[in-house]
Amino acid sequence: MKEKEGFVDCPEQQMILYVEKEDGHYGPMQTGSYITKNYIDDYFTKRNNLVISLREQINRREISPVKFFMIFEDLTINELSARTHIPLRKIKKHMLPGHFEQLPEDILNRYAAVFNVTIEQLLKADPGTELQNAEATKP
Amino acid sequence: MTSIPFSHKMGAHCESGTVTSLLNHAGLTISEPMVFGIASGIFFGYFHKHKSFTFPTFIVRNRPGDIRKNIRKRLGVEFQTYSFKREQDGIAKLDELLTRGIPVASQVDFYYMDYVPSWERAHVNVHFMVVIGKEGAEYIISDSYFPKPERLNEESLRRGRFAGGNMSPKGFLFFPQDVPNEVDLKKPILKGIQKACFNMLKIPVPFVGIKGIRLFAKRVVDWPKFARDTEHLSHEVMKINILLEDQGTGGAGFRFMYATFLQQAAEIVNKPGLKDLSSELMIIGDGWREISLFAARIGKNRDLGPEKMKELSEMIMERAQVEEEFFKKLKQSIK
Repeated sequence: MKEKEGFVDCPEQQMILYVEKEDGHYGPMQTGSYITKNYIDDYFTKRNNLVISLREQINRREISPVKFFMIFEDLTINELSARTHIPLRKIKKHMLPGHFEQLPEDILNRYAAVFNVTIEQLLKADPGTELQNAEATKP
Repeated sequence: MTSIPFSHKMGAHCESGTVTSLLNHAGLTISEPMVFGIASGIFFGYFHKHKSFTFPTFIVRNRPGDIRKNIRKRLGVEFQTYSFKREQDGIAKLDELLTRGIPVASQVDFYYMDYVPSWERAHVNVHFMVVIGKEGAEYIISDSYFPKPERLNEESLRRGRFAGGNMSPKGFLFFPQDVPNEVDLKKPILKGIQKACFNMLKIPVPFVGIKGIRLFAKRVVDWPKFARDTEHLSHEVMKINILLEDQGTGGAGFRFMYATFLQQAAEIVNKPGLKDLSSELMIIGDGWREISLFAARIGKNRDLGPEKMKELSEMIMERAQVEEEFFKKLKQSIK
């Protein structure tokens, strides 16, 4: 790839791309992310739609906030189990609203820490600032 | 405690960028492509099902940690490493090393790095960066993905260092302890190329190397079966672009950086054939970049029917063919 073809004007996400310089040598250039520059709107649209869809499932009492965050943060049940030190069979129960509502604070804390949210956000299935900041962070 | 004088430099990739920065700090002048090439960083692996991944995915670099290990073996650099069972021991050791003025590489889950924009974050336990100081309750971080040093609060670094799960960091820290002032790069370069060719051509596992690229090409048409809905499929297909371009590869799934290594290596080992091969790999990389752009476009347009997925599959299969020929020639060129 030639240097002039590699430049993307995206100060919000900078990266290093290896390119062919004018003198024929290959080397690094600092540039921006093509996908962030061109498709970040689409990313936030999909994230917003995912939140709406998962919250509808919570409202229909099909899933609990544990399942919400597991899907939102792209974690498998095995990963969540290894990270929270909660057995798989218990997590499967915690993904259902009835069981989730009876969880003690220490278990809620373990989930909240892994999902990097407060307990309040966990209970409300609120992923925090990511979506609120979508407009502000748009390149 | 304040920041240790450290020359922050952006790198294409977190592990090779981190190792390069630390070696440069210790007095050894070496480029990131040279570190990546000597460590046999170029790779391919496809995972159709894996207990730690929610969707089929692929990797384009060797196993995390192998850059450092191969540099140790091939350049004779001794690294001091630490991992911890108890979090408090890991926190105390990091603070002690910083107090002694030692910049330290740390392995973390990328998700907890608060300085990373939300759309870039993912739970990946194998991100590497250098901790270069501490002010109050904040660490100063030299992360090669970012143009300048960043700040990170103690709690976020703790969560990142001690995240559980697949390839859990366990607070892992390392820094070069004994670095030769001068190294003869000829043998390490040849060894690095030899191992890279073995990894791409000879590992007897169906999902690794050229076989892995072919498997990716064959199985990508099945991706719609794994998706919750069209938007989910779109997201995963567009991640092909991110994995090849944005997730610290230097472009085209490390092919451009490896081409740079081969161009630098040609002069050092006096094998002009490597220079021709570096040009060939640059062109192969352009083909990977076409795949990236195609994936982003069909994902954005939700144009993800069987015909487009087949077209994507054919583009990937073509890369397998050209890379197989390339690595066979590369292997011959160093005999």
